[in-house]
Amino acid sequence: MPEPALEVEALEVRYGAVPALRGATLSIEKGEIVGLVGPNGAGKSTLLHAIMGALPIAAGSVRFEGRPLAGIPTERIVRQGLALVPEGRHIFPDLTVDENLRLGLVGRGSTDGIAEDLERVRTLFPVVHEFRGRQAGLLSGGQQQQLAIARALVSKPRLLLLDEPSLGLAPSVVETVWNTLGEIRSTGVTILLVEQRAQITVGFADRTYVLGDGRVKMELGPQDADDTERMVEAYFGS
Amino acid sequence: MSRLRSVQTLLASIGLLLVVALIGSGTTAATQQNFITALISAIIVYGLYVFVGNSGVISFGQISFVAIGAFSAGLFTIPAQPKHFVLVGLWSFIADHTVSNFASYLIAAGLGALFALIVGLPLMRLSGIAAGIATFAVLEITYNLFLQWTKIGPGPTTLSLVPISVGVWEALLGAVAAAIVAFLYQSSRRGRLLRASREDPAASQAIGVNVTRERWLAFTLSGGLCGLGGALLVHQLGSITVDQVYLELTFLTLAMLVIGGSGSLWGATVGALGISLLDSWLSAAENTVHVVFFSVSLPNGASDLILGVIMAAMLLFRPQGVTGGAEFSLGFVNRLRSRRSRAGVEPSRTGVEGEPKPTLEQDMQPTQGVESRAER
Amino acid sequence: MNVGQTIINGLALGALYALVAVGLALVFGVLRLINFAQGELITAGAYTLSLTTNWPVIAQILLCFVVCIGLSVAIERIAFRPLRGAAPATTLVATFAVAFALEAVWLIAFGANGRPAGPLSTLNTIAIRGSLNLRWITIVEIAAGLVLLGGTALILNRTSIGLQMRAAATDFRTARLLGVRTNLVISFAFVIAGVMAAVVALLYTVQTPLVTQTFGLDITIIALVGAVVGGLDRLWTATAGGFAIGFATSVLGDVLPASQEKFLTAFVFLLVILLLLLRPGGLFTGFGRTTVERV
Repeated sequence: MPEPALEVEALEVRYGAVPALRGATLSIEKGEIVGLVGPNGAGKSTLLHAIMGALPIAAGSVRFEGRPLAGIPTERIVRQGLALVPEGRHIFPDLTVDENLRLGLVGRGSTDGIAEDLERVRTLFPVVHEFRGRQAGLLSGGQQQQLAIARALVSKPRLLLLDEPSLGLAPSVVETVWNTLGEIRSTGVTILLVEQRAQITVGFADRTYVLGDGRVKMELGPQDADDTERMVEAYFGS
Repeated sequence: MSRLRSVQTLLASIGLLLVVALIGSGTTAATQQNFITALISAIIVYGLYVFVGNSGVISFGQISFVAIGAFSAGLFTIPAQPKHFVLVGLWSFIADHTVSNFASYLIAAGLGALFALIVGLPLMRLSGIAAGIATFAVLEITYNLFLQWTKIGPGPTTLSLVPISVGVWEALLGAVAAAIVAFLYQSSRRGRLLRASREDPAASQAIGVNVTRERWLAFTLSGGLCGLGGALLVHQLGSITVDQVYLELTFLTLAMLVIGGSGSLWGATVGALGISLLDSWLSAAENTVHVVFFSVSLPNGASDLILGVIMAAMLLFRPQGVTGGAEFSLGFVNRLRSRRSRAGVEPSRTGVEGEPKPTLEQDMQPTQGVESRAER
Repeated sequence: MNVGQTIINGLALGALYALVAVGLALVFGVLRLINFAQGELITAGAYTLSLTTNWPVIAQILLCFVVCIGLSVAIERIAFRPLRGAAPATTLVATFAVAFALEAVWLIAFGANGRPAGPLSTLNTIAIRGSLNLRWITIVEIAAGLVLLGGTALILNRTSIGLQMRAAATDFRTARLLGVRTNLVISFAFVIAGVMAAVVALLYTVQTPLVTQTFGLDITIIALVGAVVGGLDRLWTATAGGFAIGFATSVLGDVLPASQEKFLTAFVFLLVILLLLLRPGGLFTGFGRTTVERV
């Protein structure tokens, strides 16, 4: 059986003396779209940042395609094939849309196929091409979100992490973004999707983990989306 | 905070000052000067601490108040005849009046406070780098004026013939007085309000603290203490030149505060006395000293180098200083008070769970947030 | 007093200060660190020139560049890496200490008496006579300013490393998350700062041919003040601020009556305070910003 794309085992992350993750465990198979939901402060963002090497790992392990990631600097992790679309987009407002996109190229593991990937991304997200000369800060929230995802995609990731891409976006825009995620998956990219809106995520992803109090509480499937009792238990149960 | 615990730090500081004075009084006349300098440095550093330590705003300009104190105390105590003869261009008010040494201390402190009051009025709304640069500008302006304006001073020449009236005990008295003033301020309601604004400017403004006004008060008080320090300095040396109260003293006193720990009175005490004595010893070592069995002879300028390296290293590896910004406290006394003090907000304790105290206006990122400063 | 002369001299001094300000602003941009020790690079370069007075000029110039760039990168590696993440005010004091320590090193190594240096001193001759007495050095300073600032702009806007630098200056954390090689970017900023320092050392020794341990400090302090007044957190506002303070100092020096001239410093710094009070975020900020200023 091929290795899981991502394996997180008993991960602990602390801010000073305050624990944010107290032993989170999950795994993602290649080609899956896996959701991660949970109340505020549960540690979802922390988990993503720890995987990317942006936060020091106190205990536990993270493995990408079988190789450990702990202790490796972010710049190498990106070149190994991971990319993060951070919460709040974090595009560079004073740079043009095109410059933002080209920044994503910096994290590529290899230099071939750039033209094709740029083309593909422009097809997936037409705004990126349409507004290429404009300052990115002038784009709308939804457009910036698309730019952020495009930017992550051109670094040619095999695992794409998204931190609350629907935050602050109108529902119709959210739907567009998520449909695009489906298309991205079909190109062979594995996706870990962190979201606040539990029910929609559970219904959309192949599987969804529920994170609470720094630990993975349970795993849900799309069939649980309409099961209110199960959802409540997931969020508020101990 | 419990009175008993907080007074400990004042007592400890006074105690350390006393120890230094006692040791100094037992040495040769020449060595004694180093101890006097250490005590006077403490006064200046207390002045610095009252503002920088409580507000968290960095100021490069406090030495201008030392300058004002030194020159005013000196000019008003030089005997009338030589004064008229040597300092020809002097403003008649200064030229015609001579006061007692004691009065000169009051004048120095008063003028220092007055100038701080005036200068502080526009500047206190600035923070961060802008405040640093603006206060640096004040230092430069003061230097330029004292250097060139012969109406208010001797210009580029040395102001001499100032009566020497500061020995170990006078310096100690001044230092203790300054420590008490600094302590009273930081324990007062207004001092605590200012410290609150250091921890979290937004929150304290939200509860109605007028941050600018509290800073202004601290700045004025700081000016007074620095002025006093200047007066004692000129009465120790018997003379003063404008270069002695300019960049090097600015750097030195700032280093003393930062290395000692800018967040506490104890830190100011330790830093001032420690660094001053170290500096004196290093300067002496440039002329050969004997350390245990061998003699050390440092090249000229090495003392500055060593101090600079220590200061840089401190800021790099322990930005909260030797004392960590914590006040002096004895363990068993604290345990007696532990039940009462645990519930209250303690302005001078270390932060959450033993985290280093915030220093010199660090970004107050919430510890819970994803923003981790250590990442950069 | 010749208006044209005054303006041109102002432009030349402004250009010099602008070059120093650019180095300061680049480093501040990527590291949020105020590099007081920048001045010591200039001093180091000048001392290098004073030690190699017998060498051919080209070699002198090359060595000057090597020393300045090398020292710049070394200081970053040794002294500034642990400072990452500290508040700007803290770094200001820390780099002040580093500068102080380096000055002591110069004192120990070279003594308190100045050393003569000035490989380009021939530039201190008149180029154009007439209503304007234009020295070569003035022309060179203005030209150097334009070329180097233009070159910096080109690097920033047209190269990948420049793009990464601009991104890192805007949002360091996100740049890192995208895989930007942050250490490389930072070192590159220090390399450019080193280049600027070398050029300033070369040009400054023309009119000030005596090198003492405070050679670079004075010009750096003024440039830093100017950069802060202009707006330190954006490259071009900081550079404009550096230029402005150089220009103002030169012009005021010409304009002030002789009796007041000795108070030039006081006037300049009074102006600085006024400007900081009026616009603490930076004099030139607000042009073309799309997002809220970070103080």
